[in-house]
Amino acid sequence: MTEVGAALPERQFQVTRTDLVRYAGASGDFNPIHWSDRVAGAVGLPGVIAHGMLTMALAARLLTDWAGDPAAVVEYGVRFARPVVVPDDDEGVTVTASGTVTELRGDGLLGVDVTVRVGEEKVLTQARAFVRPPNHHG
Amino acid sequence: MAIDPSAAGRVYPPQPCDVSREKIREFADSVGDPNPAYRDVEAAKALGHSDIIAPPTFAMIPVLRGFDVLIDDLGVVYAQVIHANQRFVHQRPIRAGDRLTTTTTLDTLRSRGGNDLLGIRCEVAGGAGEAVCTATATLLVREVGAEGD
Repeated sequence: MTEVGAALPERQFQVTRTDLVRYAGASGDFNPIHWSDRVAGAVGLPGVIAHGMLTMALAARLLTDWAGDPAAVVEYGVRFARPVVVPDDDEGVTVTASGTVTELRGDGLLGVDVTVRVGEEKVLTQARAFVRPPNHHG
Repeated sequence: MAIDPSAAGRVYPPQPCDVSREKIREFADSVGDPNPAYRDVEAAKALGHSDIIAPPTFAMIPVLRGFDVLIDDLGVVYAQVIHANQRFVHQRPIRAGDRLTTTTTLDTLRSRGGNDLLGIRCEVAGGAGEAVCTATATLLVREVGAEGD
């Protein structure tokens, strides 16, 4: 499971406007581009967009569930490449995340490349984590 | 309204953030993560932790306290700000009961196509001053909002 080349199974996450409101409250990030179409439009966005940090947190599930202990995710970084537009309806938008183990670093941490898409478009790029190897038998 | 170039290198006063079990649970709920390590002390202890731990990106909460001071100092409003990238290096997990402080540095300030790119580093420390997390980010400040159009 933990060798270079191993795949982290694809996961899908649904994001609705309700989720954005909940994340704003929990995180303290009240930037109005995440809840006001008026403000989002005024700064040139196609509509209300998800917090990049929410998308990053959803994709982290792939890593923490795989690792067993969430604290095993020692390093985690992403580039927010494209905004995730969240329509004002009951379905919202679907974010898909998958990953591949790409290296075993000298310090024993596994490098994982994470792919995060909406449809065919990558919304996070350079998404990469270093994780202590899962130890499901120990 | 470009940002004052002399702001590069500025270090902002440490910002406190006390972490409760309730805040961790609320954050985990908000990202839809049912992991018991974020809710159940016994589950966290079974993994070797002294109390419930926070999800990896929970670190953004103390980090945002640092961002707020910097953004305010630079005279920027958040609606102008695009989060371009974010990275966390955890020296240890954030735990319930932590009394964190975040020290924020504006490492770099660059201009790109009329927008400002802020390279920011936040050092999150625990109550004994021990390193907990290093967060680095790039924020893009769009000029369009500054002109009010």
